[in-house]
Amino acid sequence: MPRTVLICDDALFMRSMLADILRSAGFEVVGEAQTGTEAVRQYRALHPDLVTMDIVMPDMGGIDAVREIIREYPQARILMCSAMGQQALVIEAIQAGARDFVVKPFQPSRVLEAVQRVLG
Amino acid sequence: MDVRRFLDLYEAETQEHVRILQRSLLDLERDGSGGALDEAFRAAHTLKGVSASMGFAEATRLAHELEDQLDQLRHAPPAGAAPVPVDALLAAADALEREIAAATAGSQAMGDIVPAAVTPAPQGPGLEPGAVHSLWPAAAALPPGVAAAAVVRLHAEAPMKAVRALLVLRALAGRDDLLGSEPAAFPDDFDGLFRVHFGSTRDLASAEADIRGAGDVADVQFLVGRPAQPWGKAAPPPAPRMPAAATRAAAVLQAAAIPLAVPAPGVGMTGRKPSARQLRVDAERLDAVAGGIGELSILFNRVAADAVAQAAAGDTLDRMSFILGQLQQDVVDLRMVAVAEAFERLPRVVRDAARRLGKDVDLDVSGEDVRLDRMIIDELHDPLVHLLRNAVDHGIEPGDARLRAGKPARGRIQVHAERERTGVRITVSDDGGGVAADRVAARARAAGLLGAAAPAVLTDDDLFRLLSQPGLSTAADVGDVSGRGVGMDVVVSRLRALGGAIEMRTRPGTGTTFTLRLPVTLALAQALRVRVGGEDYAIPLTHVAEAVDLDATGGGAVTSGRLRLRGESIPLVSMRTMLQLPDGGGERAAIVARSGARCAALAVDEVVGREQILVKTFDAATGTLPLFSGATLLADGRPVLVLDPLSVL
Repeated sequence: MPRTVLICDDALFMRSMLADILRSAGFEVVGEAQTGTEAVRQYRALHPDLVTMDIVMPDMGGIDAVREIIREYPQARILMCSAMGQQALVIEAIQAGARDFVVKPFQPSRVLEAVQRVLG
Repeated sequence: MDVRRFLDLYEAETQEHVRILQRSLLDLERDGSGGALDEAFRAAHTLKGVSASMGFAEATRLAHELEDQLDQLRHAPPAGAAPVPVDALLAAADALEREIAAATAGSQAMGDIVPAAVTPAPQGPGLEPGAVHSLWPAAAALPPGVAAAAVVRLHAEAPMKAVRALLVLRALAGRDDLLGSEPAAFPDDFDGLFRVHFGSTRDLASAEADIRGAGDVADVQFLVGRPAQPWGKAAPPPAPRMPAAATRAAAVLQAAAIPLAVPAPGVGMTGRKPSARQLRVDAERLDAVAGGIGELSILFNRVAADAVAQAAAGDTLDRMSFILGQLQQDVVDLRMVAVAEAFERLPRVVRDAARRLGKDVDLDVSGEDVRLDRMIIDELHDPLVHLLRNAVDHGIEPGDARLRAGKPARGRIQVHAERERTGVRITVSDDGGGVAADRVAARARAAGLLGAAAPAVLTDDDLFRLLSQPGLSTAADVGDVSGRGVGMDVVVSRLRALGGAIEMRTRPGTGTTFTLRLPVTLALAQALRVRVGGEDYAIPLTHVAEAVDLDATGGGAVTSGRLRLRGESIPLVSMRTMLQLPDGGGERAAIVARSGARCAALAVDEVVGREQILVKTFDAATGTLPLFSGATLLADGRPVLVLDPLSVL
């Protein structure tokens, strides 16, 4: 059974790119979210094996979404997707319970390495 | 725990790898093979790893730079016929060696940090170029309560190193002995080098795995310390003394076992030798054991002599005697080292000398497996270096002269070791022009070393004796390679001090061969016990050819000063005369000593027998009789002097 992933990003380009990378590694993209609120709602519904979480999203940001998901599902495996220069925010997300991070622009190999660590 | 011990290990380990590094660089220069490059790379990598573990930042940096240069060569060899920059690499290796020596010397007194787990950090081919720039100096002790620290370096190109460091700490959160990190918080512009503190030394291998598993980790090294002594508190009573050798062996085993427990995957690291079976043992400790066994066997002989009279316990004594002999042999064997160790550096010596003089010289080394006492190996290095420089400088002719003489332009020097009946023979031969006897003679006359009465034709031995005179040089221009005629006298005296000898054979136009003869070991020697004027003396068998009954050869030999032996006339020296004893004329035996072609006989009163002696080096004040090379204890406990038969030659 393929492992499932929920991709959270407000940019379609980024979602497509991540989806491509993850599908190539055998993941099934079971959901896509454009806001933090949507991310939390979909997690509750889908219980995916992996979540990729953008930091800056409208409505509810990625960090708050991490807090919300981890509060309900402490074992959730969340990979933060960050732009350069957001180190302080990534630290915050890690402290909130995210497992690892990747920095945009994405290099497929680095994304998959990070996914490996998050799931491993 | 004693930091000295780890320093010793570090010293021994780095010496070994510096040698490998030097040798593989020379191999690289000769045939440019990838194997030599890989070997040099591994040596540099190991030197980096162990230096970092000791906290020697500068040595680590130099090793890292060299490693980088070698790695670049591995992946992007110089285009076309461009030569590998061996000169620069050798210079870098020299600088690293000097720095290691300086760091080692500089921290002899240091006592706080005991690096333990020397965990080499095997890397893939893509080593990041950033150097380790700010490792903590080892002198900065671990804080109180910190039993171990992991020095972690993140990849130079890793993004958001502060986050990664946090993830490293989180990966270790399952350990109940995790104390924190240094720095405790990671700034925005964190450079990726930090230390993780542990309250115990338990299971550091799994800690390393966890650290590496956190991602972007380039390097992990462990420091293991002991908590600093609180101020004002008396030092704890010393731990019960373990036999020093046993403690040492345990430490060596421990240090050797740790890297083995962490299998080294990755590129080019598969050749790591398992070291658990090979102990490095301090030669002094071995000497102590050898000395103990030696004296024990002497005591045993005394007890045996008493017991034989009582005709009891014969079997037990036989058995003890057998075991003692066995032990003695084992310890002597332990001291033995392959002569390869003394030969290892020689190619570099020849290369450098040849380069400076603009000559092309090949060096062939053979017989490296022949084993010799460790101390002899150590002492052998300087004489060999001198002989080789001498051969390159004075022996091998310039290329054009060689071509005119019908020889290949490249000169050739051979060093060969071979086991002989009583010792080891090492030859150093060149295919150069030979010693110019007429020029040596002219110089010697000018220096007043050769009288007008000297024979017109000098033998090789005559020539060599002249060349061994301080201050005699025949090189038309005195270069900086082999010095100013200084040295051959030092070579001769050094070999004699080892109980060895040297001779020279030279053929004009064809070359010169020096033959060095050495005893296999210094500690124990087979010796003849002789009596002169009521006193006993021991004569090591190394240079004894035979013992002759003077009565059988007919009287008059002593007074004539010659001994006729199988048609040969040998100079005969009376020991009584040498020892300035009242001449009783009671000499009934002669000991024939031979070194190379030289031969002389010593007349003694009586040959008492042959036994194994333990020679203690002789610390006589200079100016005493040069006849004795040491002292030993006889079976009955009496001390006797050891005669050096070569002093008569």
